[in-house]
Amino acid sequence: MHTRLQLPQGASCFTFDEARRRRVLETCVVSVFEGWGYDEIVPPLFDDAATFDDSLASQLYTFTGRDGTTLALRPDFTSLVAKIAAGRLRQVVAPLRLYYSGEVVRYEPPRAGRQSEFHQMGLEFLGGGGPAADIEVIAIAIECLEAVGVSNFVLALGHAGVVTALLDECGLSTDDPRRETALESLNRRDPIALATALDGASRSETARKALVGLAEDNGIRQSIDGARKVLGGIPRAAAALDDLESVARTLDEAGLRDRVAIDLSESRSLDYYTGLVFRVYGGDLGFDVGGGGRYDALLGRLGRPMPAIGFMLGLDRLALLVERQAGWAAETVAPPAPLAATSLGASVREARERRARGERIRFGGPA
Amino acid sequence: MSLTIALSKGRLLSGAAGLFTKAGLTFPPQDTRRLIVEAGDLRFLFVKDMDVPVYVEYGVADAGICGSDVLLEAGSDVLVPLDLAYGRCRLVLAAPPSSGFAEVWPATLRVATKYARVAKGFFEARGQAADIVKLQGSVEIAPGLGLADCIVDMVETGRTLRENGLEVVEELAATSARLVVNRASDHIKRAEIADLIARLKASL
Repeated sequence: MHTRLQLPQGASCFTFDEARRRRVLETCVVSVFEGWGYDEIVPPLFDDAATFDDSLASQLYTFTGRDGTTLALRPDFTSLVAKIAAGRLRQVVAPLRLYYSGEVVRYEPPRAGRQSEFHQMGLEFLGGGGPAADIEVIAIAIECLEAVGVSNFVLALGHAGVVTALLDECGLSTDDPRRETALESLNRRDPIALATALDGASRSETARKALVGLAEDNGIRQSIDGARKVLGGIPRAAAALDDLESVARTLDEAGLRDRVAIDLSESRSLDYYTGLVFRVYGGDLGFDVGGGGRYDALLGRLGRPMPAIGFMLGLDRLALLVERQAGWAAETVAPPAPLAATSLGASVREARERRARGERIRFGGPA
Repeated sequence: MSLTIALSKGRLLSGAAGLFTKAGLTFPPQDTRRLIVEAGDLRFLFVKDMDVPVYVEYGVADAGICGSDVLLEAGSDVLVPLDLAYGRCRLVLAAPPSSGFAEVWPATLRVATKYARVAKGFFEARGQAADIVKLQGSVEIAPGLGLADCIVDMVETGRTLRENGLEVVEELAATSARLVVNRASDHIKRAEIADLIARLKASL
């Protein structure tokens, strides 16, 4: 059979320094997770397709198990971690601080910085509620970036409750296709498309104006005080703002104000997130390197109700960011040294001695 | 820190020059053949119109100007915070008046267009099988020569359509020039981007 030498589109393979640098970065990020008291979880590579979030359904790589069930390669870790926490780990007293590092696969059309197969490093703080857990996760995310040598980065903070409250107030229910269009437009910060989507869905003029304001007015989108002026009259939106404000104020006190920026239009995966949401952006890289947020409803759907927050970084995007901002040390490992012994038996002995001293050698027969 | 702006040397360029000048922003002389030009605090990249959102999505340019037709076709993940309200056109489905398929479309419609993605999405939403013939230009001659049943193309006055024996069957979108912004630049260069948007907005 003829072997096509090209890998399928979206599949990736790393070798030599590229592979070594990824490993160094992974070790560095994992040591930050460990340092904050998180324990590793190694979830399965595949599971029932139904385990994974509906929003990922169109991106799943599915296959049929021997017993006829539809299985899928994991497209993310959070749904798996949550399921395991609600199932096999249900006796373990919450809160659970878990981290993972591994590959996920998603069908993605080829685009900026995306492959179908990519490596995520992240954590889930299950049972972590309130601003303390929010702050903890943000502080860990910041330390991860600092630890790998990235200096120019910003975490864009938003709150799922703001946009959700406004959409509900406009009378756009979750099964209304206009809600999807409105979210998509807000995500692109497109005030024209957003206004069109909200046309005729203006049960509340205040909410409609506030939503369009989030898309077109930086004074509303990027400032909690500015936002409060236009959506203070909507109780759920105001409560979400209070929530976000307390996180922002704490970050201020902790001297981390420069590391974060408010973006209330952050509106991806809103069927999933319930509170704080954030994305990590770095200078010289046009797309985010990771992100996360609070998802207080997920564990309840699995029968173990508790608040939860998590975040992840994409290893390859992080590697790109490190390369652009810090660069790599010229040599990450010493070149292997050949052996001097004159017989094969002596070579083995010499190799073992030098290996015991931690040297990097190149084994071979006598010279 | 300064901004890099992607522009195309097409029909939207003179409008962009006017807006930038009115906004008190620098703009490069339009007679240069160079494709990367520094002017004051800004750096300009001159690229193909369809490539403007690509440069911006990858962050090679912080912002750019392109038509909303280009955005529909490129499907790039960029921010579109400002309608620059010039370069207005319509993206339409057009066919020869005699074809009569405006009422009943053939089982498989052959469509000539530069906007393959837009056309595909449009016919999919209608449940209509369509054979998309991707062309780079002069799309209007395709139906007359038997290359396609109809076209999806931009129309400004409709004169080119009429002179090539076509009429508008349906409007797919009203388009205009848009400011596009990179997601990361929006945060990393927040003050500069905010200033650019505010100045352009004030001079509309």
